[in-house]
Amino acid sequence: MQLDFTGRVARARWVFVPLGLCALAAVGAHAAADVVGDRVLWLVDGVDAFFDALWSKWSLTAPLVDLVGLTQRTWFARAVALAWELAADALVAVPLLGYDERDAAREWGMARDLLRRIRSPLRAVPPLATLLVSVAGACSVARMVQGSVQLALHLGWFSWLLRTAVLLAMLILLTPRAVFRSLEHTAGRRRAAFSVLAAVLLIPLMVAAVLSYR
Amino acid sequence: MKARLPLIELLLSGLCLWAAWYYTPAGALVRTAGAWFFRTRSTARPLLAYFGAGTLVPPRVQPPPLAGPVPPQQALAYGAGAVLGWNHTETAPRLRALAQKLGSDDAATLALFCGEESARYAVDEAASQRLEDLARALPPHSEACVARAAQAMMLGGAYALGWPVNETIRVTSPFGVREHPILGGSRLHAGVDLGAAPGTSVRAAAAGVVRRASSDGVNGRIVVLDHGRGVSTMYCHNDSVLVRDGQRVEKGQVIARSGNTGRTTGPHLHYQLDLAGQPADPLRYRAERPRVGAGGAD
Repeated sequence: MQLDFTGRVARARWVFVPLGLCALAAVGAHAAADVVGDRVLWLVDGVDAFFDALWSKWSLTAPLVDLVGLTQRTWFARAVALAWELAADALVAVPLLGYDERDAAREWGMARDLLRRIRSPLRAVPPLATLLVSVAGACSVARMVQGSVQLALHLGWFSWLLRTAVLLAMLILLTPRAVFRSLEHTAGRRRAAFSVLAAVLLIPLMVAAVLSYR
Repeated sequence: MKARLPLIELLLSGLCLWAAWYYTPAGALVRTAGAWFFRTRSTARPLLAYFGAGTLVPPRVQPPPLAGPVPPQQALAYGAGAVLGWNHTETAPRLRALAQKLGSDDAATLALFCGEESARYAVDEAASQRLEDLARALPPHSEACVARAAQAMMLGGAYALGWPVNETIRVTSPFGVREHPILGGSRLHAGVDLGAAPGTSVRAAAAGVVRRASSDGVNGRIVVLDHGRGVSTMYCHNDSVLVRDGQRVEKGQVIARSGNTGRTTGPHLHYQLDLAGQPADPLRYRAERPRVGAGGAD
């Protein structure tokens, strides 16, 4: 009976593993974006101040100062952070939905081939971002599991053990697959403009992901 | 072990989906779309509230009118009382006792709203004692009580604010919708105008960090201070600014000299209070009210 259940679960892996990979990257991307949310506000404030000073030099452009006024600046900064996170989700998390599992040995072989085919550093950015974001996601999920278990069962050692187990399991079972799928997806893309855009969005996210590790 | 691998993968994938569902704006989008499709009510927060560990939601409660001045050390009790619907005399001793146990006002406020055990766990796990960091250590189901704690801290921060100029200087244009004196039309006046003479010292309403010290044709020379806890204040139309970006200032420190720069009809100080990025009436958080009179510059 148990084997039958396990067999059924195994047959449904093509559904839940890609969904899990996508969710893992989305959690990591949010952990990263959240940790630098305050810096985004500083950045937007600086850019807004620069443009306000510029627009107010000429009467024709002066009304543009009110476009993002003092009242809208926080909202605007958070909207920038949200747009950045959703763009990162589109670049890093959504491609993971296309994960198609093969035999582990074959997957490693293919990964080595794909790695060798990366000629420019720009093309290495999405897989590297996927790696860092997935690790950030694994840390966040493990932390949430620990918090939920600790506050429900009040067993400190057990919740810590569970956190460690979940983190290790994710790093071993999910993160390499996410990176492999990202390599595969990047190899399928040819346009240089896309690589530049991805790098502009993902390099700050990679730094933020590292800052979010705990 | 290998036979059980699909079960472990199912469990891990489920955990990732659970976390994404409650923790990310992308999950909130899916939840909202699902609620719309099935015609149910979404429990997801507004998308922009997913930053700052959910501590940046504008106040949902209208603070009750103050009967008397708020002693600065009791400002947080007033804020917590406003959110809980209690009198500050009930919240003040509880907060004091919790702060002694847990080591900070942020942790005490979190304990008041989420329970002492949750707060103690967050203090042990978090990178710092700031509410944002404490909130990040808690599981997703704590988001509602964390948001209430954040509201209490924000209102407490607003109650603790001082006044930027001498209180004998009258308010020439209060907060609220009014006919714009230059552009015409009905618009929200997002702060209060204080009829300060040019050169009057403008003081920081509370300790904080200078988020912006700049100049433009509308606001003139402005200073924006971030006091933390979602509270920021703005001082516009100054003649000169005495601080620079990123500088830390103390409550009552002179940060500018009032003037007549930007889009004005005469010298005055435009003082604005923002709570979680939303303008709020600064007079609502004060018992001592400066005189309000019309006819001044704008």
